[in-house]
Amino acid sequence: MHDRLDISMRANHVLFAVLMGVGLICVALAVAMDDMFYLRLGTEALILGGLALSVDILLGFGGLLSLGQALYFGIGAYVSALVLREVPSFWLAMGTATTASLIAGILGGLIANRVRGVYFALITFGMAQVVAKVVYNTRELGASDGLIGVPVLEIPLGIVTVSAGNPAGFFMLTLAVVIALYAAVAYMFTTPFGRVVIALKANEKRVPFLGYNTWAPRMVCYVVAAVVAGIAGALYPMLRGFVSPELMFFASSGNAVIMVVLGGVGTLIGALYGAVLLTFLKSIVGSYTEHHLIAIGVVFIGAILFMPKGVVGVVKPWLERRLTQSETSSASSGDRTSGENS
Amino acid sequence: MGGKTMTLKKLGASVAMAALIAGSASAQDGPIRIGVLTPISGTYAGIGQQVTWGLEMATEEINSAGGIMGRQIELVYEDSEANPAIAVQKAEKLLTSENVDFLTGTVNSGATLAVGQVAERADKLIATTVSFSDAITGEKCSPNVFRVNARAGQQSAALAAWLTQEKPGAKVYYLGPDYEMGRSTVAAFKGNAEAVGANSTGEVYAPLDAKDYSQYFGHIRAAGPEVLYTSVAGNDTVRLFTQMQDFGIRDGLTILGASGTVTSQNIKAIGAAAEGFITGVGYSTLIDTPENKAFVEAFNTRNGADPDLYGADSYGILFAYKQAVEAAGGTGTDAVRTALEGMEWDTPQGKKTIRAGDHQAIQPMYVVQIKDGAFTIANRIDGEAAIGADTCDRF
Repeated sequence: MHDRLDISMRANHVLFAVLMGVGLICVALAVAMDDMFYLRLGTEALILGGLALSVDILLGFGGLLSLGQALYFGIGAYVSALVLREVPSFWLAMGTATTASLIAGILGGLIANRVRGVYFALITFGMAQVVAKVVYNTRELGASDGLIGVPVLEIPLGIVTVSAGNPAGFFMLTLAVVIALYAAVAYMFTTPFGRVVIALKANEKRVPFLGYNTWAPRMVCYVVAAVVAGIAGALYPMLRGFVSPELMFFASSGNAVIMVVLGGVGTLIGALYGAVLLTFLKSIVGSYTEHHLIAIGVVFIGAILFMPKGVVGVVKPWLERRLTQSETSSASSGDRTSGENS
Repeated sequence: MGGKTMTLKKLGASVAMAALIAGSASAQDGPIRIGVLTPISGTYAGIGQQVTWGLEMATEEINSAGGIMGRQIELVYEDSEANPAIAVQKAEKLLTSENVDFLTGTVNSGATLAVGQVAERADKLIATTVSFSDAITGEKCSPNVFRVNARAGQQSAALAAWLTQEKPGAKVYYLGPDYEMGRSTVAAFKGNAEAVGANSTGEVYAPLDAKDYSQYFGHIRAAGPEVLYTSVAGNDTVRLFTQMQDFGIRDGLTILGASGTVTSQNIKAIGAAAEGFITGVGYSTLIDTPENKAFVEAFNTRNGADPDLYGADSYGILFAYKQAVEAAGGTGTDAVRTALEGMEWDTPQGKKTIRAGDHQAIQPMYVVQIKDGAFTIANRIDGEAAIGADTCDRF
């Protein structure tokens, strides 16, 4: 038998499959039409989706609003860029970026997790601004110019070698990384540990009475979010060939929060929908009018007023009812659900 | 049988040839598309406006005179928001999806550098008409990037020449905006000024878009300089100068600045606080030549404002591109690059030459001073004297 969290997660998985399906169809179309720009824009949307996913881990499950999640995205991006400029190795770059964001996440978590609520939002914002300004003023890190000259990477993946300069190939690689991140995070929240994190969001004071430590789950949640953002960030310089301090600025963190709210808080998959929507919306509207920021603002307000649970929230209740029905009907007609679950 | 197949083959071949010719002919007759990636929103929107005016005016003139090799120019706009991450995405759209032949308009130096790399990978050429940073045609030069405006080093050389004449051995304080352009302009001027015997008394960097500059006034007062050098731009200058005026720091201090510090865009807003300000520029509306007078009049009639250096340099770039395409016989990247290297062309501010070694335009520099709310030319420095060494070693 499955409880509400399982049903909710399964609804997310269905929506994830839909997004991936649509994504793959779009890739096929783009390759057929020999388009390069939209494929690479889609890749950027997925990378930013990784950052949004990290915001949703904190906001949707931990109940913690981070306004500085771009810090870890930027650390991943800068470490990856610095490594790639010296040694053009995909695995080395990913490994060091993951390690760096893990360490940064532990340090940041030790500071940020001392406080709650609005103070948490402010301290995450502050940490990101401080690091961004340090990078902005450090000549060795390219300062405000950023770092250019990240080579076009050849990525050996066992049987095939993907070039970061090949739009379709690198899109598929990014998609694979995002799928892995999504799957790992979704799995984490269905484990008993993940449920403690969710319980913290619901009522932090009651959890200790049930015999659970509250500090450790919150800390792990924060560090996992940092690592997810760092891994996503590590892909950025491979796509764009440069990094700049703007990646760590509030605009990046704020955009990620908007993506999550637009897509649907606490759904994981909503972060990816939001990232794709916002990235394409910005690019397309921006080409038609100089007042694109107003248009984005109107869309955002409209989404909050009319879709408080985000784009995903529009179809998810219906999907959950369907899944519950099939669950009860299949349970009554014999246990055949195990195959569908996997 | 054999004869018939021959005819069929011939027919097929000639059809293919005809299609090829038709195809290439349509590409030759269609407009030349030029991407304009410039900040339309944000703190540099005013600069983007001058860039747009200059480019549009040049486009209208070239198009009404028959275009480039019979092809009309079409400008394709994108908003760079003065953010390199946005600029790179938009540049890729222009260069690969919109398939523009050439790209210009980038303002902040970080964006120009990052977009230059995109252009290199897309095998297209770009030119900046605004960015000051010496690195763009120096240590971080690219075979696909050109600069037709004066870089920080050229402006500093002009100002340093004025300093030796008027205030030899002066005590100088430096105040720059805290980003690449600010730091590189201050470093360049400091080097030039110290080389001619000026005494540096201190330097400070204020964040871009700072609202309050009074926190720096204590340092300035304590250092007691005779000359303040600043490279803030746009609305930042308005706040800095008016606040200095309000706090009485402005009195008795000679302010030197980058050429973007006071322009026709912000001079009215600064008002009396701008009086006496001195800068080195590659362009001024006061340049006393018939070409420039005609340009200023036409620009003012069309746009309702005088051109500043951005407007004039952006206007000039399209004529450079036109001449290069005509010399190259087409818009092919390698041919146009070769044609641009070492090319001399006419602009409202006189003849400019693109140095082949680093793609930096060589041009005469002017020292201008604000008197009674208007710029006056105080000195002229030859292009060769202000250009400085070629430090680009990539091509």
